[in-house]
Amino acid sequence: MSTRDQTEEKLERLVSQVLRDQPLRQAPASLEARVLSELAARARQPWWRRGIASWPAGVRVPVIAGCAVCVPLVWVLSLWLVTRLVTVTRSRVAGPLAVVQGTRHTLASLGALFTHMIQSIPREWLLGGMIATAALYAVLFALVAVGYTLLYPRLAYSKVHLT
Amino acid sequence: MRAYQDMVFSTALRLTSNPAQAEDISQEVFLRAYESFDNLRSSPKAGGWLKTVATNLTLNHLTRHRKRWRLFSEIFSDDSREEELDSAAEVFDTVLSELEADERRALVERALQDLPTHQRVPLVLYHYEEMPYQDIADKLGISLAKVKTDILRGRVAMASLLAPGGLGATDHRRRSPSTQPGAQS
Repeated sequence: MSTRDQTEEKLERLVSQVLRDQPLRQAPASLEARVLSELAARARQPWWRRGIASWPAGVRVPVIAGCAVCVPLVWVLSLWLVTRLVTVTRSRVAGPLAVVQGTRHTLASLGALFTHMIQSIPREWLLGGMIATAALYAVLFALVAVGYTLLYPRLAYSKVHLT
Repeated sequence: MRAYQDMVFSTALRLTSNPAQAEDISQEVFLRAYESFDNLRSSPKAGGWLKTVATNLTLNHLTRHRKRWRLFSEIFSDDSREEELDSAAEVFDTVLSELEADERRALVERALQDLPTHQRVPLVLYHYEEMPYQDIADKLGISLAKVKTDILRGRVAMASLLAPGGLGATDHRRRSPSTQPGAQS
């Protein structure tokens, strides 16, 4: 075991000892009153505003049974509605769909044209353009860094002296 | 409730270092205990149950700040030097033993509260809740290495707060006659 490990272990042991010697902090006197008043406020609430676990059995059982019936019913109804919706939508969007397909063809032609134009540009030009763009970005970052370095200490200084 | 309220409040306070938040959390703990009153009334594990609920509720409360402590935890590397560890151990070993028990307790409590959240929370979970490193990492959603680093840094930071010139110096200055009101007259 290295010296550092031994020191860390010693520090851990000492901190544990000091912290465990700490007594509990006394809870504020208001805590008990707060809890009791909150419990009283909850007890005053009508049964339908409390959790279902505390509802009267005469209400709870029918509600749970109703929910048990409703869940599959809603499921079946949703499926039926979705099926109907798909059928209706298909018949209604048949016309607009043709327009969308026409637009897709036009976009594909434009894409092919763009690709052809890019391919017709000499590679040296493309490479040069990319290098120029990267250089401009580098200059921009350098300017921002220099500006930040020059301005930041002043901001920190003014903040310290204002507070 | 009276038997456990100090323990619940202390658990929440050590993690939040905010008495108002600790009181809110304690109230919530006891309201939940009331909901499970039938099970807890005769259970010998009631104290443990209350402590676990208090810890979990406090950690949930702190979750909204978790990203912040993760960020700070990840920005700084473990740069504790050998000498820092040595002097930290010395503070806990000798400096604190020279103080009166009440003064020492007050000073330790303040130092703990003054630690940043990302160091205090794992430190409290490790030393007070006796949680293993891996459990702390899982609870806080940070890596095992970061938990160890944060706890170590927390111990060193606490020592520097407790050392002469830290919090103790402030207290001493506050109590010294030259700074008392009316001392000049």
